[in-house]
Amino acid sequence: MKRTLASFAVIVVLLGLVVLSEVRLGEITREDPLGRELLYLPSPEMLKIMSLGNPGLVADVLYLWSIQYYSFYQPHERFLYLETVYTLITDLDPLYVDAYRIGALIMQIQTGSDQEELEAAVRRLFDKGLRNLPDNWQLAEAAAWDFFIRFADRETALHYAEVASQRPGAPPRIKRMVGVWRDKESAWTLDDSIEYWRRAVEGAENEWDRVLCMNQFYDAVTARDRKTLEPLLDTFSARFGFCPESWEDLIRAGGLSRVPLDAFGDPYGIGFKDCGLVAFKKFKDQ
Amino acid sequence: MRAVRAIAANTFREAIRDRILYLFIGFAVVMVVSSKLFGMLTVGDETKIIKDIGLAAMQFFSMLIAVMMSMILISREVDSRTVFIILAKPVRRWQFILGKYLGLVSIVTANLILITVVLMLTVLLVAGELDLMLLFAGVMTMLEMLVLAAFATLFAVLTRPILGSLMTLAVFVVGHMSADLWLLTRQLPGALTRAVIAIVYYLLPNLERFNFRAEVVHDLAIPGAVVGWAVLYSFAFVVVVLFLANLRFRGKDLK
Repeated sequence: MKRTLASFAVIVVLLGLVVLSEVRLGEITREDPLGRELLYLPSPEMLKIMSLGNPGLVADVLYLWSIQYYSFYQPHERFLYLETVYTLITDLDPLYVDAYRIGALIMQIQTGSDQEELEAAVRRLFDKGLRNLPDNWQLAEAAAWDFFIRFADRETALHYAEVASQRPGAPPRIKRMVGVWRDKESAWTLDDSIEYWRRAVEGAENEWDRVLCMNQFYDAVTARDRKTLEPLLDTFSARFGFCPESWEDLIRAGGLSRVPLDAFGDPYGIGFKDCGLVAFKKFKDQ
Repeated sequence: MRAVRAIAANTFREAIRDRILYLFIGFAVVMVVSSKLFGMLTVGDETKIIKDIGLAAMQFFSMLIAVMMSMILISREVDSRTVFIILAKPVRRWQFILGKYLGLVSIVTANLILITVVLMLTVLLVAGELDLMLLFAGVMTMLEMLVLAAFATLFAVLTRPILGSLMTLAVFVVGHMSADLWLLTRQLPGALTRAVIAIVYYLLPNLERFNFRAEVVHDLAIPGAVVGWAVLYSFAFVVVVLFLANLRFRGKDLK
C-alpha cells in the first residue's frame, strides 16, 4: 500500500513537472531559427502526390491554416507569400470557391505594400477562379464589388460585373447593376444605354425586375430627349425673352414639329423655373 | 462455393473479434463526426470540409484495415496449424484463398458501410441534405479496396506478415502515384526507358481511377463510361492478382 501511494505521488509530481515545464516553455519567446516559416511551403505538384488522392483535403487544411495564420496579428511577415499560399490552395482544389473569395478578401486587408501590385494580385486570384469556375457568377460579382469599393477601380469593377451578368443563372439584378454602372460611368452612349435597357425590359424575369429596368429605360430615353429638347428651349428663351408656356409655342415658332413624348408616350412638361424638360415618370402596365 | 463461403464467414468472424479493428473503426467514426469541428473553423462552405475529411477517413481507414488484416490473414492459420485441418477437408487451395479474400473484403465493406452512413448522417445534420453521391464515393472506394485486398491476399501468401503489410501499404502509396509515373514517360528521352516505365505503369494498379472525391464534393457530373471502365478495371485486377496468389499458394509448402 505504501509503495502504491509512493508511486502515485511520484507520478503526480512528474505530471506537475510536465505541466510546469510546458507553461514555462510557452512563456519564453523564441525566434524562428530557420527564418520565415512560410518559406518551406511545398509545391502543389508535390502536395498533390503526397495527399494520396486527397488534394481537396490538403487544400482544406491549408485553407483553415491560412485563415488562422492571417487573422493573427503578431507575425511581422503576416502577408508574406499570401498570393503563393492561395495559389497553392487553389491549385490543389481549383473549384474551391471560398479560397478565391477569402484569399482576395485577406489580400485587400493588406496595407502598406505596393497597392498596384496588390490589386494585380487580387485580380490574378479572381481571374484564376473565374477561369476554373465558368458557371459561377457569385465570384464575379464579389470581384466587381471588391474592385468598386476597396480599390475604387470602376473600370475593373465594371468588367467583373459584365462577366457576372453573362454567366448562367446570374440574377437580373446583376444585369441592372451593369447598366447602372455603365450609365454612371458614362461608359457608353445614350443610344447604347437605351438599347441595353430596352432589351433588359424585354428579357425581365419578373414584374419587379421589369419595373426597375423600365425605370432605367425611361431615364435613359429622357436623358437623350433632354439633350435634344433643352437647347431648343434655350434658343426660344433667348429669342423671345421668356420661356415657352407649352410645346405648342415652340411648334408655332418652328422649333418643333410635334409635342415631344416620353418613353411611355406621355407628353413631357416644361419647367418654368429653369425652362428645362420635365418628365412625369408614371409606370404603366405594358 | 459452400467451402468459400464458410472460409469467408470464418475470416470475417475472426476479424471482428480483433480489438484493433474496432480501434480503427472507432477512429474513423470519431474523425468523421469531429469533421464538424473543423468545419466550424472555416469561413464559407462548412459542408465541403466535412465531406473532404469524411471521404479521406473512409479511404484511409479502409486501407489500414486491409493492410492490418493482410498480416493475420493467412499467417495465423499457418501458425496455429488450422490450415491443415481446413485443407484436409474437401477444400481446394484456390477456395481457401478466395474465401480468405472474400472474408477480408466483407470486413472492409462493413467498415465502409458504417463510415458512409455516419458521413451521410453528419452531412444531413449539418447541411440538411441527403447527399447520395457520398454513397457513390463509398462504392468507388470499395472498388479501390477490392484491388488492395487482392494485393493484401497475394502478399499474405507470398511473404512474411509484416513485410506483406508493408508491401500492401506500398501498393496503396504507389497506386496513387502511378499516374505521375505515366507522366514521367513523356519526360524521358529514351524509347526503351519509356517502354519499361509504361510496362511498370500497367502492371501497377492506378488507384486514382477510383478517385471521384473531388466530383462528389463539388457535385460535378460523372460520365457513366468512366465509372463502367473503373469497375471493369477493378475486377480485372482482382482476378489477375488472386490468380497469382492462388498460383503461389498452390505450390507452397505449408510445413
